[in-house]
Amino acid sequence: MKIMPASLQGRLLIVVISVVMAVWTLIVSMTWFDARHELDELLDSHLAQGAALLIAQQTREAGEEEHDLDSPVLHRYAPKVAFQVFHEGHLTMRSANAPGSPMIPLETHHSGSFASVAIGGQMWRVFVAQGGDRDVTVIVGEQMASRMSILRAVLRSMLWPMILALPLLTGAAWWAVSRGLSPLRGLAHTLMQRHPRSLQPLEVDDAPSEMQPAIKALNELFDRITALMAADSRFTADAAHELRTPIAATRMQAQVALGEADEAARRHALEATIAGCDRANRLIEQLLTLSRLDASAAPDTSRLNLSDLVRSVVAELAPLALRKQQSIEVAAEGDCAVNGEPTLLAVLIRNIVDNAIRYSPSDAILKVSVMPQDGQIALRVEDSGPGMLDKHLQRVGDRFFRVLGSGQEGSGLGLSIVQRIAAAHGAKVSCSRSTNLGGLAVDVVFSSA
Amino acid sequence: MRVLLAEDDMLLGDGLRAGLRQHGFQVDWVRDGQAAERELRAQPYAAAILDLGLPLKDGMAVLAEVRRANVMLPILILTARDTVPDRVKGLDVGADDYVVKPVDLQELAARLRALVRRAHGQPQDKLQIQDITLDPAAMQVQQAGKPVALSAREFDLLHALMLNADRVLSREQLEQHLYSWGKEVDSNAVEVHIHHLRRKLGGSLVQTVRGVGYMLPRGDRSS
Repeated sequence: MKIMPASLQGRLLIVVISVVMAVWTLIVSMTWFDARHELDELLDSHLAQGAALLIAQQTREAGEEEHDLDSPVLHRYAPKVAFQVFHEGHLTMRSANAPGSPMIPLETHHSGSFASVAIGGQMWRVFVAQGGDRDVTVIVGEQMASRMSILRAVLRSMLWPMILALPLLTGAAWWAVSRGLSPLRGLAHTLMQRHPRSLQPLEVDDAPSEMQPAIKALNELFDRITALMAADSRFTADAAHELRTPIAATRMQAQVALGEADEAARRHALEATIAGCDRANRLIEQLLTLSRLDASAAPDTSRLNLSDLVRSVVAELAPLALRKQQSIEVAAEGDCAVNGEPTLLAVLIRNIVDNAIRYSPSDAILKVSVMPQDGQIALRVEDSGPGMLDKHLQRVGDRFFRVLGSGQEGSGLGLSIVQRIAAAHGAKVSCSRSTNLGGLAVDVVFSSA
Repeated sequence: MRVLLAEDDMLLGDGLRAGLRQHGFQVDWVRDGQAAERELRAQPYAAAILDLGLPLKDGMAVLAEVRRANVMLPILILTARDTVPDRVKGLDVGADDYVVKPVDLQELAARLRALVRRAHGQPQDKLQIQDITLDPAAMQVQQAGKPVALSAREFDLLHALMLNADRVLSREQLEQHLYSWGKEVDSNAVEVHIHHLRRKLGGSLVQTVRGVGYMLPRGDRSS
């Protein structure tokens, strides 16, 4: 069950008002008990003093005959107090509102003691006092109701200002809370006013320190989104750019074929048109692979033997190498188990080996090796091709980066894909000059399973 | 008309060369920036098509270099870089035209003809001198309203002479206009073609300046 209101302002208001009311209740009850105690002490002492006065008077008048004192009604408060005077156990004098019998049994109450008793349906506070020679006993009493009315008056005088103050206080608290929350509303307003695509950092004037972490977090989020969007649009632009050349070539060749009268030249142009379509298609497939890799978080991995995978991929690509009179060999030793997604790892191996075949000349030597190394599994593809300049080595794996003038078609995406797959598997890719064969060496180091 | 093509993409370069040949151009094809710069400096091309993403030397750098060296020929940039800043930069550095891939072959040929025409101060595509009309797009020549059948070489030679009317062109210059690389050129090829032109269009059309070369006068023959 929801007991707090949805708004922060409402919640704060409820808390503030509840605390104020609780404190007030505490103050009122403490005042109540304190005042009652003080009042009891004061009025009891008046009772005692009244009794002492009566005793002093009776001692002087000792010996006179018993008489009922019809004490005059001096004041309208007088009915609230009463007294009885006893000489040697006989009632000799009483106030008009006092009963004929002792207000409390004299046997059970000693001189100087207070008691609260019910007389005629009213609660009375009584005090018993005896003269020094013990023949005079005085009982004075006072209605408890009068004490209560004093206390109530005290309480009233306290509660009224509080009750009157409560709406004022609520209003003031409402205003204060509302004012305190205004930066938050300002932030909300700023966010609402923003253009949906705006990723400028937020600037909120005199934002309180409590809000700074939220603003900072928001601005960091905006930065991250900006970077992501920039990477995304750069990739799209690059992809479109890379597609332009194969499409331009395809279109040009098709147009040449249309206008060509010579049969052999027309056939050549048509074959080139098909080659252009194939090239565009290969580029699109690589782009799709990359975007799928970017979209999926972690691949579903299983334990597999990298040596087996390398053998099957090389078997698939070997005809390409043999057609170029290249020699290709696989050296896979021992147990090379890694955790990986077999389809993706096959793409990784295929891209590296395919690059080596493509960019190495005829009669080149290619070597693919898989072996355990320092508790890890190292995959190495090296060739006796031209290798790469240092400045090009640094840029390998940048999307669409190609070494120009290689005489080979390519999208510049192959090693991007390799790096992306390796990253998804926690593997490291590095390129260097092969010490054995003199060409390019690509290393991928996996942690062993 | 002899043009230089600088394009590193094999498939596109091959297509461009074949397509431009269909439209009557002699095409020399280079595949990197350094070769492009060397050719632009050395040879009298009618125009050049320059890709920007060239190996060894970027097309923009090639363009800047040859313009600094006062190479005047019309240069058309053909590139995949399509942003406005790229276009502005290309034109400002010295390109006469900027075309984004992919391009239509007919349009590219028309643009090249327009560039060549403007470079020779001709207001329209058809050249008219005396009673001869030459239509480069249709590759047709008419004399006094009647079509004249010319071979491709004869057409190119007449085209060169008409573009450079009232100027004397040497035999070497005409040879360079007529032949792309790798073509076997007979030492008297120009003389033979001039002879054919005179036979088909009248003996006094092309004048010989002895020891210098040939010239086609702009003025009316009858005056």
